[in-house]
Parts: sequence; structure tokens; C-alpha cells
Amino acid sequence: MEGETNGGWGGGAESVLNLVPGSSISIRYHSLFGAHDDFLLLEADEALLPDILHNRVTIRGQTDEEAVLCTPSATYAMKFVGTSNSVFLIPPGEPILPCMKDTCNDSKSNTSAVHEVVPSVIKVASSNMELVLVAPRLDKLKSLLNERPYKLDEDVETDFQHNRSLYRWQDLLEQIQASEQELRDGLKALSAAEIDGFWRIIDEKTMDEILNMVLNNSILHGWPLNALKEDEVVSVLEADGYPRNITLRCLETFGNMVESSGCSLWSLDEKKVCLRFALQAVGGGKMKLEIFLQKWRHSVPSGMHADLKMLEGEVLYEKLGFETWIRAFRVSALPSTPAERFAALFRERPRWNWKDLEPYIRDLHVPGLSSEGLLIKYTRRSQPSADVEPNFSAR
Amino acid sequence: MQIRVKCNCGDGKCSEWAIVELQGVVESQLAISDQINGLEIGHLCCSSSSSSSQPSYILTVGYHELSGTKVQLKKPLLVLQKKAAADAAGPEFPASSAVELEVIGIIRQKILFKTRPKALISRKNISSSKILRFLATGKETFIIRQPSKDQMLLSFNSM
Repeated sequence: MEGETNGGWGGGAESVLNLVPGSSISIRYHSLFGAHDDFLLLEADEALLPDILHNRVTIRGQTDEEAVLCTPSATYAMKFVGTSNSVFLIPPGEPILPCMKDTCNDSKSNTSAVHEVVPSVIKVASSNMELVLVAPRLDKLKSLLNERPYKLDEDVETDFQHNRSLYRWQDLLEQIQASEQELRDGLKALSAAEIDGFWRIIDEKTMDEILNMVLNNSILHGWPLNALKEDEVVSVLEADGYPRNITLRCLETFGNMVESSGCSLWSLDEKKVCLRFALQAVGGGKMKLEIFLQKWRHSVPSGMHADLKMLEGEVLYEKLGFETWIRAFRVSALPSTPAERFAALFRERPRWNWKDLEPYIRDLHVPGLSSEGLLIKYTRRSQPSADVEPNFSAR
Repeated sequence: MQIRVKCNCGDGKCSEWAIVELQGVVESQLAISDQINGLEIGHLCCSSSSSSSQPSYILTVGYHELSGTKVQLKKPLLVLQKKAAADAAGPEFPASSAVELEVIGIIRQKILFKTRPKALISRKNISSSKILRFLATGKETFIIRQPSKDQMLLSFNSM
């Protein structure tokens, strides 16, 4: 074993690769030649080698999923590529011939020189694996975390199966086909928080409640919405029974940190806050646009201005007679793989114009495929005449 | 499930393996098909070609001769070996599979024979000693080896 790990296969790869012009060498089957199904060839870009050689890559997936290889920051699909050629694998190492080192060392010092160097084939490889950069598969993360969103009033103590449908970081690494960086980003995009060691999505109602508490207290205490003092906000809400880390997650979700002289300040993001109020206003059904706008503008915190541009990718408009109706249709609720995304979009509407469609596909990033390429692959474009906006329908 | 890819080689010290690649399949004669381990496949010869700096290679298998070149792989191939994970039950990988992949080598170049072979002789049923004599005297070959029961035949799929 020791010899093997040191490359001592006795295969003589060096003598093949370093064969000098004018010389020749015999090639034979290794004494251990065989199918060797435990040997795999992985084609890897030079740029990936440092991660692989420093133990920074992991293969992830359940047995019913296609395996992916993850570096700390990227995800690669693994494809088997077969060959009809005969690919003879020759391991390295000084060929070990009978009567080498051990027995001959004493009598003659230079016995190896008289042995013929015979490179040996250990296996004929019929395929190798290739890596293709892919987007992380994060839809599963969303559905796992949605199994049990965090609610303020949940009582963990009385729940007998209180660890069911709860996931720690390591559990997520086991389950999700994404690199650690992409998983962290995915959790952030979902506004997930680590609560008692488990990663949780915070229930929307809970989030709304905390946001309202922050806003109400800002009026009460005269806090500026663009410079909320983190310590102050957190301790005031904590006194009202809102856990510290949930309040912090709320600030992260609706604001941006602006540090100033050692004290953490948060500036609430007008668009994010207004969007939240818009979704509350429109609710689950559809609503006349005029009525919605009244309700929405009335509800947003003073100093913030509601603008329909904030609702791209969040609502759809429908013309019924003379009136325009609005209803929620959120890109964040749609699948993130292109094929499923377009299928969901065309289920919603058979035909889309570009202006409506763009907000629902701008977050799709497929390595090696431009947004133009995505449209060609998944939609049929029709444009009756040059001065009319093109339409996109299902292929 | 997570399968770790490990490498014990250290920084860029992965031992280099070699590939000899050719079209078709090398088949052994029926009589010895089960026991080819240790037997000679053929002879590899490197000749200095006058025209270019690239040396050319000639591989002789039985009475077939192939000519090829040394090719630098565009992307290196890593040789991985599936092994039982050393610390599968460790706290870091609680539910991980019991296997891991270990990088045991790297392949950066291969000797590629991409053309079909040239037959050194065409007559069948020629006896071993005659092959020897033929190889020894044939003008395009300078390889002298002992053709024996371990002689391999090249058979070609339609490719």
C-alpha cells in the first residue's frame, strides 16, 4: 500500500513520456491489469486544479439526482463521455521487476540499471468525466425551508417532533446541489436566518409584523428611516418580545447596513419596503389598479414614495374593458431552472410581450447561454410587422 | 450525500500517468484471452523526424504498425480512485456516503495514434518464426522482438 500511494505502481509512465527519439520501448499489460472500475478519469480545467488538489471540492447529490461537483464557489455538472478508442492507462513508477531492491541490494548496488524498463498498462479506459459549469440547484432549498417557516408564536418545547423539517448547515450541504458560496447566497436571497442552529425562512406575516414594529417605533422615538441604530432598534424590539436575530434578519431584508463610526446603522430600502406594502395591499386576489394605488400609497411609511416601477416581476396587469386590474405574480415564487420557469410563465399567459416578460427572466443565468439564447431556446418569437412589439409564446 | 475528492499528493506533486491511445481494440488471441496480465502488447518507438521538431511515434502490435504523435491534453485528466472513506462517521460529514475519491495521478499528455494501422504482413497463418524473420528484415521496421504466445492482434471496429 505504501508503495502505491507514493506512485509506486511500477507502471513506467515516465519512460513512455520521456522516450527519446531513436529509442524504443516495450509496452505490456500490468500484472494487475483489469477492469479497475474504481479508477475514474476526470477532465478538469487547469484553473480548477488548485481547488481539487487542495481538497476543496465535493461531489453532491442524492442517488436519484445527477451528480454535481462543487468547488467552494461554483457548481459543475458531471458528464460521462465515452470513447471508442482504446485508451491505455499507464501508471507511473519505476517498474518493479523480480529481484529488485530487497534481495539484490547487498550483492550489487546497481542492479536496476540492467533491467529493461517496461511500461505497463493497468486499465483500458472507456470513458471519462467532463465538467460543465451549471447554475446551483437551489429550488430544492426553497422547498425544504418552506416546509416549516419560522413563526413568532411557534413553541418548540411542546412540539414532540421539533427537529422535523429543520435543517442545519451540514444537512443543507448534504441535500442541496450547490457550492457553499452559492448556498450562502441562496439562503441570503431567501432571507433565511440561522435560528437555534437551524436555517429557517421567516414566515411572511412574522416579517411584516416586525417591519411594522420597526416603523411604528421609528415614529415613536423619532428614528430616521435612513439611519436606524441597530442596537437601539434591536433592544427596543427585544423588550417587546421579538428575538434579536429575527429583528436583525428583518433589517437585512428591508434595509442596507451603513456603518458610521463604530455603530451599525441601517437604512431602510424604499423599494423593498414599498413592495412589501404593495403585496399586503393587493393580497391574494385581483384588484382594480386605481383602488390598489390609493390603498398602497396610503399605507407606505411617510417619506417613502410608491411607484409602480417597484413592482416589476411582482405583479401582473390585466385589461378588462376600460379598467386595468392588478394581481400578485411573483418571480421569486417561480422555478429557477429555465425550462420550468418558461413552462410556468406560459401556463400563466400563452403570450408575453417583452416588457412584461423581461422582469420574469432577468434573473435566469445559465452558464454559456445569453438571455437572447434563452429566448431562442425556450420561446417562439412573433412580430407581425416591424413597428409592432414582438410577442413570445411557447415553443 | 457528499463524496469528498481528496488528494494526498500535495502542491502540484501529483504523479504523472501516461496514456497510449489508439483506434480500435487490441484483442488477444483466443487461446490466451483470459490471461493477458504481464504480457507484451507491443513495441513503442520514438523516431526523430527530420521535418519538424515533433518526434513521431510508431507502435507495433503484432503485425500491425501505427504511427502517431505526443499530444498535450487541452485539459488535464485526473486519475481518481474510489476508496472507502477514512472518516465517514466523522462529525463533519454525518450522513455522507462511505466512499471518497482520491486523486492518485494526473495525465497531461498522451501518445495518440489516430490513424488506422498499416499491416506489416497480409498473409494469414504465418508462423511465429516467419513473423520474426519478417520483422527482422522488413525495411520499415527496426524492432526486433520475440513474438510468442503473448502476441496481440489489432482488430478494428468500423469507426
